[in-house]
Amino acid sequence: MKLKKIEDGVYEVNIIDATDEELHEINNTMGLALSVEEMKKIRDFFREMGRNPTDLEIHAIAQGWSEHCSYKSSKPVLRKYIFGIPSEHTMIVMQDDAGVVEFDDEYAYVFKIESHNHPSAVEPYGGAATGVGGIIRDVLNMGAKPIALVDPLFFGPPDYSGKLNKGVKHPLFLINGVISGIRDYGNRVGIPTVAGITYFHEDYINNVLVNAGCLGIVKKDKIVRSAVYSTGIKLVMVGGRTGRDGIHGVNFASKILDEKSEEERQAVQLGNPILKEPLIHLVLEANERGIIHGMKDLGGGGLGSVVGEMCHAGGVGANVYLDKVLLKEGDMAPWEIWVSESQERMLLAIEDKNLQTLEKLCEKWDIEMSVIGETIEQKNLRIFWHGNKILDMPLEFITAGVEYERDYTVRRVQEMQEIPPEPNYRSVFLKLLSSYNIASKEWVIRQYDHEVQGRTVIKPMHGIVGYESHGDAAVLKPLHDSWKGIAITTVSNPHISKLNPYLGALYTVDEAVRNLVAVGAMPSSMSDGLNFGNPERPEIMGEFVETCRGLGDAARALGIPYVSGNVSFYNEAFGKNIPPTPVLMAVGIIDDIRNAITSDFKKEGNYIYTIGKTTGEMGGSEYYSMLNASSTIVPRVNVERTKLLSKQLLSAISKGLVESCHDISHGGLGVTIAEMSIGGNLGAEIDLKNMEHFRSDIKLFSESPTRWVCEVQPENAEKFESHVEGKHIGVVDGERLKVRDGERWLFNVDVATMRKIWRGSLEKYLR
Amino acid sequence: MRVAILQMEGTNCEEESYIAFKETGANPEYLHINNLTEGMLESYDMIFIPGGFSAGDYIRAGAVFAARLKAKVWKDIVDFVESGKPVMGVCNGFQVLIELGLLPGTDGISEVPQAALMTNNSNRFECRWVHLKKTKDTMFSRDAPNKIMLPVAHAEGKFFATQDIIKKIEDNGQVVFRYISPDATEPEYPWNPNGSINDIAAIVNSYGNVFGIMPHPERAYFPFHHPDWTRNPRDKGDGYYIFKSLFNQINEAKSR
Repeated sequence: MKLKKIEDGVYEVNIIDATDEELHEINNTMGLALSVEEMKKIRDFFREMGRNPTDLEIHAIAQGWSEHCSYKSSKPVLRKYIFGIPSEHTMIVMQDDAGVVEFDDEYAYVFKIESHNHPSAVEPYGGAATGVGGIIRDVLNMGAKPIALVDPLFFGPPDYSGKLNKGVKHPLFLINGVISGIRDYGNRVGIPTVAGITYFHEDYINNVLVNAGCLGIVKKDKIVRSAVYSTGIKLVMVGGRTGRDGIHGVNFASKILDEKSEEERQAVQLGNPILKEPLIHLVLEANERGIIHGMKDLGGGGLGSVVGEMCHAGGVGANVYLDKVLLKEGDMAPWEIWVSESQERMLLAIEDKNLQTLEKLCEKWDIEMSVIGETIEQKNLRIFWHGNKILDMPLEFITAGVEYERDYTVRRVQEMQEIPPEPNYRSVFLKLLSSYNIASKEWVIRQYDHEVQGRTVIKPMHGIVGYESHGDAAVLKPLHDSWKGIAITTVSNPHISKLNPYLGALYTVDEAVRNLVAVGAMPSSMSDGLNFGNPERPEIMGEFVETCRGLGDAARALGIPYVSGNVSFYNEAFGKNIPPTPVLMAVGIIDDIRNAITSDFKKEGNYIYTIGKTTGEMGGSEYYSMLNASSTIVPRVNVERTKLLSKQLLSAISKGLVESCHDISHGGLGVTIAEMSIGGNLGAEIDLKNMEHFRSDIKLFSESPTRWVCEVQPENAEKFESHVEGKHIGVVDGERLKVRDGERWLFNVDVATMRKIWRGSLEKYLR
Repeated sequence: MRVAILQMEGTNCEEESYIAFKETGANPEYLHINNLTEGMLESYDMIFIPGGFSAGDYIRAGAVFAARLKAKVWKDIVDFVESGKPVMGVCNGFQVLIELGLLPGTDGISEVPQAALMTNNSNRFECRWVHLKKTKDTMFSRDAPNKIMLPVAHAEGKFFATQDIIKKIEDNGQVVFRYISPDATEPEYPWNPNGSINDIAAIVNSYGNVFGIMPHPERAYFPFHHPDWTRNPRDKGDGYYIFKSLFNQINEAKSR
């Protein structure tokens, strides 16, 4: 690699005369994570310009073109399936850092889910914490007050005793690190963590997945865009200083993990919730005063991405004076400053006349600020360093970089389903209750403050205090003077997706709807967190395409749009890819939170109904996986049924006809009823004979979609049945769960035993 | 009734506290420590220190907030307390009052902390609801029922002091609320959520005007704050009665 020093920290890189091998060398030495084709494109660009670039210019391009920033592999697919689902309530969709949807006449809600997988694999505590920090800024920079967090997590089994590849950390270490990181950041910053997933499977041993979502609320007339529309506007950095932490984070995120990943610790940022907390106050106060012209947070890609994207979106250029950026360490080179992903930083576009007001606010909240540039008419980005111009390129070239129609193949799986011998029902039922993906997640949930801010009116755990069980969704009451509520849930079904990504995606959307409807909320919009392996492999790209097709088909038919999202590729290590893991953060609206319901049984004598049709596709089910029985036939969602049944059920709930409701998912009907019993500390007598004609274990443990269990008072039974197609299967009764199929008793377990087994199994590893 | 809700970086329960005071009929105001100057506190009827993680609680919880208050307005705070006006701290606010030496205050204000809110026995942050038994009528509790439920959300809430101090606190009748189990027997974990000595959840100083409580009354102000409201309807959240007690007391004192 041929360099010419221009001044301290700035070099000219000879790319014009570089051979293909030299391009490869430049790519590796500078840690750009670009392809040879992309390097050639850069060489061609500067050949045309008739000059060589500075190292800063190359770094700026590499950052803009990284998968993480440019979505170069995913964009064509997303455009085809995910974008543009019509809805009358959406306000800003897939444009800025978070989606914006109407809440009521005056307010909108803002939300997004995002991944922070690679950093968490290398440094779980810091990686997870900054994942939370980053998603909070995405919501904040729309001008919204963050009021809820969610955290879907995917780990290897906590008791894994097999061999670990070099550099891979044991699941238990990762679990503890990630959960502590989320806890210590989320709790300190004062935003409740209200929903999440903790999923365990050997498929995630090499690639832990840490997704984080945030929801905020904003007055419609205070929404801030991530764009600058006029020239002469000052670009002001506020918040944390810029350091060497988080250099090349996005390039790192666009590579596969290997034994050397540990050496890239520098790519992991350091979060500081106690800087974030006042920063939130500062930004919201400044916004309340109407002085913010445009705003964007500095996350993946750092200052480079932010200046580029904000100006490009508004159709202006910018002059940036890098020596004005406040630094943690004095000797940083310009390219390091430009790409650093140090946390807790925001870029505000402020008119001259408002700078003084901002200064005053910064003083009050003890926050540092620095004017680092201004917008200009020419659509170029120009960077200055102590008076010298060290970068001058069209913004279009940097930010609108590249896009690929990647090759893909769709894998077809031969359909087969094993019929295992009929089990001992009692032992299989209790074993399911103690399996990692079904057992109580209370140990995790209680470490997160889920009710700070006083808005969480349906908590993540439902039931009698001290006996609580899992709920389907949390409900928030965002405004003090309105009864209107927001329900939030997160869902993912990787082991259905693994067998059939298309049907898995349908199933996941269906579960999102089920969860929201179960608390009485009307599904409103979704954010999609798409976690996949290496997109340069056609079979992985095929999984991605099929997943997006499924997500799109289901959502379009239901009229529920995706308003924001995130794609995380390259979740591959040591030749192994994660199963397709689309994670949805779904939001529903409930007109009056006083009509919300929970999953715990309320009263002896009440009737128990199942809603929806039970079918026998056992592929991807917890029951089959526990038995090691094989099936490639996964549940098939009929979206029209989802629509019809959720409408019926919502109408019954809003009329007060349902005492409790829980969707049927992992572990099937048996586990659903067990959880309702555990939360209400009440048993039930169940007879499966009225259900569809299957062997009893299928009736009990099938995870077929679009189903719920409802508890109804006997005096409301007739009315309920006139609203909803349900099957009466039993009654809330006593202290034991007694299940039979016609004349044949299957099991009889007391609630305390179920609770003990369900609560204890994960906790014993995690404690 | 003017209430100063003190803030610094990391305080984060101020909004729900503000709403609780406002709903009760008081006039709460946020007062950031950076804007706090000498002579300012006097005009308020009450000082309230909300929960959160002031300065991150990276060292002893509440220690930095206390140190900054001492450095800035210590004399004003002493005067405020000695004038008999109420001072209340919730969660992190309780920790601050202990670090300030205002609590337990068995013999007036102490120069060094006489007690501590230590790391929970479970050794982790926990967010859960607890049952409390009222053991003393004070201006902070007189209108509360004998048994209430409130949420806790802390990692450092185990009330601890030497035997001598505990004995004085008990002899003086300074314990206002104790953790109890649902059947009103002596609580084991999680009903005593942190391992507090003598199940102490809230205390008042010996003069009865400085009150510290680990559970959060402001998060139990409305009926729908309670986790079981879908099964147990209530008129008011249990935390309401604490704010109501204060409001009645201050108004009576003023009209006297």
